[in-house]
Amino acid sequence: MFVLRGVQRHLRFAQRPDLNEKFYKMSGKPEPMAVFSVFQTTFLLALLSLRMYQSQVFSEPLPLAPKSLEISIDSTHQRLHLQWRVHNLAYHRELKMVFQIEISRIKTSNVIWVENYSTTVKWNQVLRWSWESQLPLECTQHFVRMRSGAADAQIPEPRFWGDWTSWEEVAVQSSLGHHPLSVFPKDKLVEEGSNVTVCYVSRSHHNNISCYLEGIQIHGEQLDPNVCVFHLNNVPFIRDTGTNMYCKMDPGGVIKGIVLFVSKVFEEPKDFSCETRDLKTLSCTWDPGKDTGLLTQLSPSYTLFESFSGKKVICTHKSWCDWQAAPDSQEMYNFTLTAGNDLRKRSVHLLFNLTHRVHPMAPFNVLFKNVSPTNAAMTWRVHSIGNYSTLLCQVELYGEGKVIQKQNVSVVANGELLVRNLEPYTEYVAQVRCAHASHFWRWSEWTRDNFTTAEAAPSEAPDVWREVKSVQGHRVVTLFWKPLSKLQAKGKILFYNVVLENLDGPSTMKLLSIPAPANCTELALDHHSYQIHVTANNSVGTSPAAVITLSRDPGNKDVEEARVKGTKDGFSLSWKPQPRDVTGYIVEWCEHPRDPRCDLQWKSLGPNTTSTVVSSDAFRPGVRYNFRIYGISTERIPYLLEKKTGYSQELAPSDSPQVHIGNLTASSFTLSWKGWPAEPQPGFLRGYSLYLKSKAVQCLPGSEKAVLPDGSVCCKYKIDNPKQKTFVVQNLQPASFYEFFLTPYTSAGEGPLGTFTKVTTQDEYSRILIRILVPMILCILLLTILCYLKSQWMKEKCYPDIPDPYKSSVLSLIKSKENPRLTIMNVKDCVPDAIEVINKREGARKSLIETEPTKPTYLHLLPTEKSYPGPGPCICFENFTYNQAASESCGPVPGPPKEQPSQLGLLTSSENVLKALGKTYVNSLGEIPAGETNLNYVSQLASPLCGDKSSLPTNPPEPALCSEYKMQMAIPMGLASPPSITPLDEGAAAHSPCPPRSSGSRCAAHGEQFAQVQSERGRAGRWTLHPGWNFQCQ
Amino acid sequence: MKQCRRIWTILREFLSLLLVLHCTHGAGSPLPITPVNATCATRHPCHSNLMNQIRNQLAQLNGSANALFILYYTAQGEPFPNNLDKLCGPNVTDFPPFHANGTEKSRLVELYRIIAYLGPSLGNITRDQKVLNPNALSLHSKLNATADIMRGLLSNVLCRLCNKYHVAHVDVAYGPDTSGKDVFQKKKLGCQLLGKYKQVIAVVAQAF
Repeated sequence: MFVLRGVQRHLRFAQRPDLNEKFYKMSGKPEPMAVFSVFQTTFLLALLSLRMYQSQVFSEPLPLAPKSLEISIDSTHQRLHLQWRVHNLAYHRELKMVFQIEISRIKTSNVIWVENYSTTVKWNQVLRWSWESQLPLECTQHFVRMRSGAADAQIPEPRFWGDWTSWEEVAVQSSLGHHPLSVFPKDKLVEEGSNVTVCYVSRSHHNNISCYLEGIQIHGEQLDPNVCVFHLNNVPFIRDTGTNMYCKMDPGGVIKGIVLFVSKVFEEPKDFSCETRDLKTLSCTWDPGKDTGLLTQLSPSYTLFESFSGKKVICTHKSWCDWQAAPDSQEMYNFTLTAGNDLRKRSVHLLFNLTHRVHPMAPFNVLFKNVSPTNAAMTWRVHSIGNYSTLLCQVELYGEGKVIQKQNVSVVANGELLVRNLEPYTEYVAQVRCAHASHFWRWSEWTRDNFTTAEAAPSEAPDVWREVKSVQGHRVVTLFWKPLSKLQAKGKILFYNVVLENLDGPSTMKLLSIPAPANCTELALDHHSYQIHVTANNSVGTSPAAVITLSRDPGNKDVEEARVKGTKDGFSLSWKPQPRDVTGYIVEWCEHPRDPRCDLQWKSLGPNTTSTVVSSDAFRPGVRYNFRIYGISTERIPYLLEKKTGYSQELAPSDSPQVHIGNLTASSFTLSWKGWPAEPQPGFLRGYSLYLKSKAVQCLPGSEKAVLPDGSVCCKYKIDNPKQKTFVVQNLQPASFYEFFLTPYTSAGEGPLGTFTKVTTQDEYSRILIRILVPMILCILLLTILCYLKSQWMKEKCYPDIPDPYKSSVLSLIKSKENPRLTIMNVKDCVPDAIEVINKREGARKSLIETEPTKPTYLHLLPTEKSYPGPGPCICFENFTYNQAASESCGPVPGPPKEQPSQLGLLTSSENVLKALGKTYVNSLGEIPAGETNLNYVSQLASPLCGDKSSLPTNPPEPALCSEYKMQMAIPMGLASPPSITPLDEGAAAHSPCPPRSSGSRCAAHGEQFAQVQSERGRAGRWTLHPGWNFQCQ
Repeated sequence: MKQCRRIWTILREFLSLLLVLHCTHGAGSPLPITPVNATCATRHPCHSNLMNQIRNQLAQLNGSANALFILYYTAQGEPFPNNLDKLCGPNVTDFPPFHANGTEKSRLVELYRIIAYLGPSLGNITRDQKVLNPNALSLHSKLNATADIMRGLLSNVLCRLCNKYHVAHVDVAYGPDTSGKDVFQKKKLGCQLLGKYKQVIAVVAQAF
């Protein structure tokens, strides 16, 4: 043992040149030492050979150290790949060995990984081992060393480790260049949910570096002053374009980043299955599962491996793969489907017998032979599967979309099946599929074809009905029939034969052939009885005949119409059973009653039926349908039994009747309407609702409160009798305002609310007033008409142009008041108090305007202004109608001339008139021809005391009322006004229809002054203002 | 006679020296060295209004450059949109220069180099973006449209150079190949190039 250990020491010494060198350096005398060493080595080698031989014999451990250790770096996968050899292993010798590998980070003492790698070592074999680092290799240095030991069972315990190899440094950082900042790992691909370690490496630890993931700052741990590590745990899938992670260095603002690609978890293939259609090719399919989301970066690959044959196929599709089977040599197959990408590999296995996975191809050449009305022979062929393989085929027969027959047939090559119990002239679809009979795996696809059975004679008589109309003494019979159903027709109906047989006359038959698809014909018949036979014909034969008899008697008797209530399902009709023999019943109705064509429908029922439900898709709500129920006698004569009418669904009225108001009184009014509505009615009318709005809060008896849709409250009268056409609204308030609205209602409800009609009840006293006022108005009207007709007479009588004072009624009144002193004043009694003398200057015409107006000269007959400080006692009028004689005794009493303008101003109603007057006045003065003479008539309107000179008031406190005319007088022109007065302009004239009989009093009342002068033309009663004259009302 | 021969020798040596100097300068420079009388033929006749076409194409490129730039950096995600100065700054060192105040010929030659530089670079960007942002169809479309216009512009500039200035060949430089770079670096290089392109095309369009 001691020798062995010494040899081992020597071996180690020999294997370590550094020790050898040291040894040589220490010795200082190389030559004698070298000789000694060579000798010693030779000796020891001889001993070693002997020892090795002995070790085989004695099974002692042999230290074989790993040599030529090489380390390569895979940055993408963060892996270190180690490869080495074991020297000194005997040729063709295998030895089970253990290699202990240590990995340190940053420094050799910081061991982060120790692993024992056991393997069988051959001579000169290159051994490989790899290690994946969680930390990117670029982040810091790594160191690797290893040692070996024997693990062979032949070597007895205890076994010893060999010496460690020296530390091998893995320094990727040195190859990074001089970038101030770097982030690792680059473009890392990971699955979601995994943990990722990221680091940054900076050249200077004085910088402030912050890192962000998805814009959010992340914090790591400082590995060394220049390296910071970030552990990202359970990373989620964010997007298929990757996630930017970046670090920013301050100052400088350098940004460095990486893109982290997180894929979804690569799923295991599902539903892996293989089958064959011809025992030659196996088709394997699977569901690849969900997409990883990173198809560009992580394209999956699929590989199919069969373990018995050891063959392998790389699949070009991600969900299926074909495999060439060898049916003659291999029956069992054991497949392994391996799916993988850079991150993960998934495998699924499948073991099967080839013959148990036969999926036959679809049958072909499906044919139908010997097709009769009820049978057909079906044949088909199948693809052969191997030799003598029997297939089970399934045949399905479809009629009108439903499976009507299903049969299984065993087939080797050709299939055949007789299909029975078919309907004539019917289209069928037959389909067939097959599967392996011995080991059912899967049905083939269906192969289908259709065929039509042959025709047969119609089996049923057509359903016939008639409509009889009387036109000009003849019967027009419209004969209807329903087309036979497919089952009844048993072929294509080509024509209908109608045979007319006169039952009353000699036995004559008339045949009408009506081509299909007609379903009616019109016949003009006399009033004899006829029996009509209708048959349907196809290419094979004729149907039984449908018989209907038209009797001579029309048979229309008055049958009362009954109401029937319809539902969504139709009308349920029932009738009384007939005592006499009937062969059946017919229910007849119009499907479109509002249409003139009506679309007559009927339903034939058996003799024992007394009720039926008539339903139709054509029935519409709000349409009234009329039904007639006929019984068919044994002679095939129909007779009317009952009439029914009804709605499938009643609707509320859509409009309201027009209502008229009558008998409007103070407390009531009557409403009348013409019924509602015009046809068609959407339901049976049940009555009317009257809505009455009023100011009264309480509703009157017979009505109830109702709330209208607009929220307003009113009173509602219910009129239950639909035939009622009038309604009296009573107990109303006089002279009150009401609003009403009448609407009909059916069982479905009332009609829509429309505009309310307004009505106001009469006042209680208005009638009395009318009774009084109407006669009065009539009387007035009569009087007015009379006055108008007798206006001339009236004028003469009541107000002649020249009033005769003696005829004045006033006089009689005065007399009646027994005042004998008051009489008509005589002109002679009038004592003029002054005479106005108007000086007329010849030749002064042109200078008239420049000079002052001529001042009239007053000859005061009575005491002057001084003696009479008040206004004059009498007023004088001019009136040309009076004779000249009168003027001799009485002269005019003109007013002071200085007041002329103002007096004119008061008299005219407009300035134009005033101006015109002034102008006329001026012109007229200037145009007065010399020597012309005119008469001025002055009428004096006396005060009540005018005739009594002695009683003239000296200073009357108030203006005296002039209520009557005095004697009028004519004044010679020499004393009076300007010799000629030109007639005034028309525009300046003030017209008055009558003499100003009361103007004196009016003037007096107002205390104003005005003058009215009648021109020569004014004899006919026209009064003209004369500017040169004035008269006073005082 | 000897003197004459000496003079001729000196002159010949001088000319040779000049030629050598000229060749030395030309070898290191991308300036065209096509002789004036060299054959210069284009496959198709040039458009009569070539300069207008060039101007229009430049205007078209200038009009769409900013939108392309925005579209690009938006598609790259954070931190690109918020760190344009650091990640997308026009720090392209080997980008061909352009002197707006040069002659038309020199401007056309420089334009040719720029377009020749940009064309493949845009191709690289388009290729990268189709992988990195497969759903950014608008960006792909704009990149393709820009590349199409550049191809037309390159053809027009070459036509002009050939027809008017008899320049048949221009030495060009290309941008860095991004195929070996990491994804973040690809994004950054693309952004820088488009930023530079946006900046340069404005000057070029203005110069023409």
